[in-house]
This record gives sequence, structure tokens and C-alpha cells, in this order.
Amino acid sequence: MVLSTRLLSTRHEVDDERAAQDFLHEKGWTDGLPVIAPTPERVMSCLDVAGLAPDHVIGIEPVRERPITAEKAAVNAVLAGCQPVHFPVVAAILEAMCRPEFLLHGATSSTGGCAVLVVVNGPVRLELGMEPTFNVLGNSDRASAVIGRAVRLVLRNVLDVRPGTLDRSTLGHPGKLGYCMAEDEEGTDWTPLAQLRGAPAGVSAVTVLAAGAPRQIMNEWTTAPEEILETFAAEMRANMLHYSIWGGNYAIVVPKQLRDRLQDAGWSKPHIQQFLFERARVRKRDWTGVGKGALVTATNGDEEHAALLSPADLLVIAAGGPGGGFGAVIPPWFGHKSRAVTTGVGVCFSC
Amino acid sequence: MYVLDPTAEVRPQPVSRAPRLDSLHHRRVGLLSNGKAAVAPLFDHLESLLRQEWKANEVLRLTKGNSSAPAEPNLIRELARCHLIFTGVGD
Repeated sequence: MVLSTRLLSTRHEVDDERAAQDFLHEKGWTDGLPVIAPTPERVMSCLDVAGLAPDHVIGIEPVRERPITAEKAAVNAVLAGCQPVHFPVVAAILEAMCRPEFLLHGATSSTGGCAVLVVVNGPVRLELGMEPTFNVLGNSDRASAVIGRAVRLVLRNVLDVRPGTLDRSTLGHPGKLGYCMAEDEEGTDWTPLAQLRGAPAGVSAVTVLAAGAPRQIMNEWTTAPEEILETFAAEMRANMLHYSIWGGNYAIVVPKQLRDRLQDAGWSKPHIQQFLFERARVRKRDWTGVGKGALVTATNGDEEHAALLSPADLLVIAAGGPGGGFGAVIPPWFGHKSRAVTTGVGVCFSC
Repeated sequence: MYVLDPTAEVRPQPVSRAPRLDSLHHRRVGLLSNGKAAVAPLFDHLESLLRQEWKANEVLRLTKGNSSAPAEPNLIRELARCHLIFTGVGD
């Protein structure tokens, strides 16, 4: 098979790199931070590394039927600061986001203002130097930063998800600049997230989740797994009351200090999923205590709502620095209306 | 030097407007809600205007199952029977 190598994007002439910055910002094609000029040579290097022709369709946003071609994805990846070696991960993420169950259009246009959380598993994490420990939800490393940013720039430029136009977010959250992390597979005995979700062992994969901002928890005063996890459950219940009562894919980030307590006591990810499936529940009447009593009636107060529709709905992520009894609950954007998707990097394990 | 355009560069398909209606008399009007609470009072008012002032003889009220997803195929089929459709988004 002969791959097409012709780039179809309009070429804009600029004097130099500095003029390119001004031009790209003036056009509204950035997130406000400095960008790398997407020259034809840089874009072709990304496509070469991924083995994708420019006109290869990575995915089609199902509602507006907008295709995301490899060329347009690569242009935005370069813009975001990606090196060619990062691009296969960006392509896999976009492919996952275009699966119908992800509900890409709704997730990126909603007033709810979610971002696309990306969790990377497998050998590609090490190849790209991703750092799943210190400051993992902040700026931990170059690859996480530019890959997460590339996703946002593709949404902005290829799918027109711009604030105030298609992006109707009331608030948004800082993860919309980039929300990409790796799992600390070397720092845990637990099964990697992607493998629990169907990826073969040792295969690089990404998991995407339409997600709210991380809600940080802290419990440094117990070694009992049930007590540690009860703090996570309480934060999930709080989200159900303060934000949305609807259940779906929640993610929790468990750092090493808390993870060691759980692992030492023999708790695996499925044990944790089962515990939180049972404990993260509220009743409708609980809304009366948080100012939402208008929605509680004489007949619906006893209705029970679970944060997770099944134990497998919980994405348990081993990540975070070695010290500190912190953790995070990352809630779904809109209950089960958008589902987490896991796909291989450069390989299809569900085909 | 040259930089590549990062946008979709999709040319909009030409579309033509549906013929305007002279009257709603003996016409079926569809009101499609996205399912959020604030649509209901808006559509209540609109329905009363349509019936009393514009003499629409049938007003069909439909609600999407998921406010963030396209209308379900059965709703689209129902709406295809209407001469005029309003869609409302409420938060």
C-alpha cells in the first residue's frame, strides 16, 4: 500500500518563528500559551513516526460528523509542543474520544465544563519519560503536558470547541489546558488500569474519561484499608450531593503512601471497586442538607443513588508522589451519559 | 517559512431555507425540549401562544432522553410529521 504524503492544509507564509507566534495567536488558534510553529516538515515527522497518511481519518465526531484527519491532528500536536514520538499517543486518544459511547460532542460543549482526562499505560510511558509520581496531577513532565494540551487544541481548532462558541462551559477547570497522566505501574503490584479494562498485558494503551476537576482528599491517621477508602467514599458522596447525583465512571488516584497500606493488607483494585460500589451511595433526601431540598418530595426521599452503576465503573489509578496521605476523586462529567473508553496505542486490541 | 492551518477547513454545505408558513391553521407544531427543567415553563407559554393566537390545531411536546445527545430516532420520526418545529435548551 502506498500512503498519501500530500499535506492538504492551507499554508500561511510568515517571516520567522516570532511572526508565526503572533500570527497563530491573532488567529485564535492557541490556548494563549506560546506554541510551536506547525511547519510542513514538523507535521510530516509526526505522521512518519505514527505511520499515518495525512488523509487517514483517526475518528469522526459522531454528532456533527466532523472527521479528525491525521494531518489536522498532527498540526495541532506540533502546535501544542509535541515531538514526533508523542504523536501516536495523541492519535490513540483522539480515536478513543470518537467512540460513540464517549459522547464527545456533549462532553465538550456542555455547560458542565468537563475536560478529557487521559491515563496512559504500558511501555510507552517509559519511552516518553512520563512521570507518574510527584505532582502527577500538575505538571509532572513534558510528555504529559504536551499530549494533554494537544487534545485540547484539536478540540479547539478541528472541532470548533472554543469558549463561547461550541464550548458552553460555565466555569471549565484547569484540566482543560491538559489533563494527561501516566499510571505508576512500577510502583504498585496492582493490575494496570488499561489491562483491567481489556488491554493485553504489556501493550501501551490510553483511557479517556470526560471528567470534572480532581477533588483532593487526605487521610494520614489510619492504616486500615476500610478507613482509607471511606474517605474516598465520602468525597464521592459529597460530589453526588454538591455536584451531580448521577452515577457513572468515577476515577480515584491513589498515591504510594495510601496504596502501600492497601496492598500490604491484600487489597487489589477489584476489592477497592467493590468496597466503593457499596459505600459511595446517597439518598435523595440527603439533598435537603445541601440546599437542594426543592427536588426532594414526600415520595422520593428514600431513593438510593449509587456513584457507580457497577464496581467496574470505578477507574483505580496508582499515581502520585511517595509521601503524603493524599488522594483524589475525579468525578464523571454527566453520570453514565459518557463512558470511559480504553484503546491501544498503535494497535487495536478489540478488533 | 510556512505554517499549516490547524483548523478543520471544512467548507459549509449550501443549505436552503424551508418555505415559510402563511398560517398555522390546520398545521402541526412540534416542540422539542432538551429535557432540562427550565424548558417546561418556556414551552408552556409558547404552546398557549401557538394555540390561542396562532390557532395551531395540534402541538406536539417531545423531550429528549439525554440533554447532551441528539434526539432519539423515534423523536425525529415524530418531528418529521410536523410542519413547524421549535427546539428549546434550558438550564
